[in-house]
Amino acid sequence: MLPIFEILAAVPPAESEGVVGDISRSFKVYWPQLVSQFISFAIVIFLLKKFAFGPIQAMLDQRRERIAAGEEKLKRIEKQLADSEASTAAAIAKANEEALRLIAEAKQGAAAFAEQKTQEAIAQAQQILSKAEAAGNADRERISTELKREFGRLVAATTSQVTGKVLTADDQHRINEEALSKVGN
Amino acid sequence: MRSLATILSFWLLCLASAFGAEGGHDHLPLHAEELMKIGPLVVTNSMVMVWIVAAFVILIAQLATRNMKLIPSGLQNGVEWLIEGLYNFLEGILGAALVKKTFWFFATIFILILFTNWFGLLPGVGTVGIKLEGSGVDQHDIFRPFLRGGNADLNMTVAMSVTFAVLWFYWAIRENSLKGFFAHIFAPKGKFVGFILVPMILVFGFVGVLEVISILFRPVALSFRLYGNVYAGESILENIMLLFGTGNLGEWFGWIPVIPFYFLELLVGLIQALVFMLLTSVFLKLICDHGDHDHGDHGH
Repeated sequence: MLPIFEILAAVPPAESEGVVGDISRSFKVYWPQLVSQFISFAIVIFLLKKFAFGPIQAMLDQRRERIAAGEEKLKRIEKQLADSEASTAAAIAKANEEALRLIAEAKQGAAAFAEQKTQEAIAQAQQILSKAEAAGNADRERISTELKREFGRLVAATTSQVTGKVLTADDQHRINEEALSKVGN
Repeated sequence: MRSLATILSFWLLCLASAFGAEGGHDHLPLHAEELMKIGPLVVTNSMVMVWIVAAFVILIAQLATRNMKLIPSGLQNGVEWLIEGLYNFLEGILGAALVKKTFWFFATIFILILFTNWFGLLPGVGTVGIKLEGSGVDQHDIFRPFLRGGNADLNMTVAMSVTFAVLWFYWAIRENSLKGFFAHIFAPKGKFVGFILVPMILVFGFVGVLEVISILFRPVALSFRLYGNVYAGESILENIMLLFGTGNLGEWFGWIPVIPFYFLELLVGLIQALVFMLLTSVFLKLICDHGDHDHGDHGH
């Protein structure tokens, strides 16, 4: 027979103490044992909490906090990056717009400058032309005057030689006037 | 080298166990046995086992946290894996807020039960002890082992269950308030108005009485379930050893048929630790579940 059956067979058929009493007797659940076990368990659980799970949990909490802080930091960095990308894109767009505006302004400025220079050139050319015309007119007038004078002198000289007479200044002046009036301007 | 030392230690333990057993190991009693008395307090062999397990767990925890590194490795990694896994598992049951307050208890219960169950399987437990002699010695109990499986003592499992019951009341009242606690048990769940409210109050009042009976029986069920499973496992191992350990062949090879049962007991030790922790955490979650409580309040 197996020992367990021997034990059960060996339990004395004492008078029943009720269900709780029978259980207490079979399993030796008496106050001294139970109270001792309670105290022992309380001490064990206190020691385990203080020296076993306390440090480990503190370490895990610390790590969890560090991970949470890291994630928070990562989110902040991602946000900053997104903001930075957005601001960079905005700056690029603004710079592009500005560049286009500058190019348009430069084009306009260049056109105006070209126009101004053209007008200036035209004005200068006209001025040169007017000056040239004036100079030409003056030269023509001068040459005409010299020609008239020379013609008068020649007429007077010719007249003097033909007539054999020395002409006076009045005669010369009169002959010149007549000759010139016939030659015309 | 480390494996060699481990194997050598194991065989030395077996040898010590064998020598101890030779003295007169009689049977596995239903209860733990008294080793000594400190004043009115009794020190039993199961209690000594629990102290050894607690010392072992503390030692491991101290070694693991002695030189902590940011990137864990070795023992620190293993301990962190176990504790973090437990924490996440319990967080899934209890919720983030409740697990912070109660993790220490459930983790202690789980680790303590698990290692106490497994330590109870080591050679020497229940076999190394003293032979009692003298006229007053019961002939059915002539051997007093120094160690016994911690949970193969109903006093130990009752102590754990009753401690949980006390803490359960404390946590439940703290989470719900005293009024909320009673409303949680007795108040109708759901929205009832008008005439239907009266029968609902009666029905839920009766359900509440049943709930109270269930709450009172929880420590009994918890303690007997754990004790029964662990004691049954140890009895099986002992009886198989005795059954096959007789005769010339049995003396040398009687340990072979027990091996599958050792693996079974390793599994049972884990399952029982898990069951105890799961049940206690679920009991706590049920009373602290504010979703049901709110419905109950609205029902009023």
